[in-house]
Amino acid sequence: MRPPRGRGGGGFRGGRGDGGGGFRGGRGDGGGFRGGRGRGGGDFKPRGGSRGGRGRGRGNGGRGGMRGGSKVIVEPHRHEGVFIAKGKEDALVTKNLVPGEAVYNEKRISVQNEDGTKVEYRIWNPFRSKLAAAILGGVDDIWIKPGARVLYLGAASGTTVSHVSDLVGPTGVVYAVEFSHRSGRDLVNMAKKRTNVIPIIEDARHPAKYRMLVSMVDVIFSDVAQPDQARILALNASYFLKAGGHFVISIKANCIDSTVPAEAVFSSEVKKLQLEQFKPSEQVTLEPFERDHACVVGAYRVAKKQKAAA
Amino acid sequence: MGESKAVIGLSWEPKLPVLSSLTSKTPSASGNSQSEPQKSALWKPNTELVDGLFVPSNDPKKVNKLLRKQLKDTAGKSWFDMPAPTLTPELKKDLQLLKLRSAIDPKRHYKKGDSKSKTLPKYFQVGTIVESAEEFFSNRLTKKERKAIIADELLSDSTFGQYRKRKVREIEEKSRPGGNEKWKIKGQQSRRRAKQRRN
Repeated sequence: MRPPRGRGGGGFRGGRGDGGGGFRGGRGDGGGFRGGRGRGGGDFKPRGGSRGGRGRGRGNGGRGGMRGGSKVIVEPHRHEGVFIAKGKEDALVTKNLVPGEAVYNEKRISVQNEDGTKVEYRIWNPFRSKLAAAILGGVDDIWIKPGARVLYLGAASGTTVSHVSDLVGPTGVVYAVEFSHRSGRDLVNMAKKRTNVIPIIEDARHPAKYRMLVSMVDVIFSDVAQPDQARILALNASYFLKAGGHFVISIKANCIDSTVPAEAVFSSEVKKLQLEQFKPSEQVTLEPFERDHACVVGAYRVAKKQKAAA
Repeated sequence: MGESKAVIGLSWEPKLPVLSSLTSKTPSASGNSQSEPQKSALWKPNTELVDGLFVPSNDPKKVNKLLRKQLKDTAGKSWFDMPAPTLTPELKKDLQLLKLRSAIDPKRHYKKGDSKSKTLPKYFQVGTIVESAEEFFSNRLTKKERKAIIADELLSDSTFGQYRKRKVREIEEKSRPGGNEKWKIKGQQSRRRAKQRRN
């Protein structure tokens, strides 16, 4: 790993995608895991009564109103397939496709309906998922909804993918592409229990390698954090995205060029996308949750509007 | 024939002319009994039955109407058919409490949301948080601390008790009239009228 340079951004959260030893298409290859993502606290050993020192971050006093056992009210969110749980604090939740199972030790909400059926929701942490951060940032439309077919580039361990698979429901399908074998292992284990997730351990730069697995899709979500991510998205879109389909891309300014201000990077990326038949419609910053990130949403190969007079 | 009628269940018997004359009388008999209970899903008046059996009508309009009536009220396919529960007084109180939750804790701030509007959500579910295994000791309510509704949870929480009491006392002091103990201030309305009276 080279030392972080420019604007001190490199060291943020363990520096995921810091450009370590030549990995491509994926993140979390090697040591650069983001603290918090992945499992457990590494070297923390809860043994004996020594609660002093560096306890668990959330340990003392149950900070945060969402304690196990408290009641919340789950309501539909503005976006289709997303729900919001209201209690002492709000949380974004998705309906669990596999009731009784948590994917990454997240909290769940169990609900008993009046007719005796049980439903379960999983809390979606915006600090771990860029899509959740974009939703909380107020993006107008994520285009991922029940029944949609989604191609997910940069799936990592499959934490966000599991929520996307909740979103699209049993009628939709998620093709999750990840290059790193290490995080791909977690992805495959997650996909074993979720029938609508198809894990693909391949380089997203070569869509021809997995073209036999993927059908035409409605939405591409891209979270690859690579300098040429616009090209990767365009390649995959030309193979799999339907005309008039949509894309959602998360851009990390540091990964593309850490010497210029983030806004300049975002605008140059948007320009690149526009050259590739994409039509970006909006851009939101993921600011309170991620630093120097933006999420761009738009359409692909939009049909030209017919003139009203003609 | 007589014993076959005693059998429980469906039976079919040929329509005899004698019987048909009998049934032709029955509409007039049912016509005068207007006070009979309204049609329900189970009970149908004899006039709508064919040979004593209920036959759904062929008319697609009527069939669609019947189907629509039997559909459960849900938030729709986009939200995985989230049902609309029956609104009990406790549930209603909880929903109102959620609207006013910004007043509960002075140190917690919420997004604006829809706290101003008084409309309660129609589709919602009441759930219980299930903690992850690693939070068993750190972030879990014990069985005694668990309550059935949010209002009870708040009341049993002792941390906000003092703040709540102080606020109530402040409001009471503010609305206490200056002169006579028996006077009451009934909000904006009465003050406006007092001004009118003075003028």
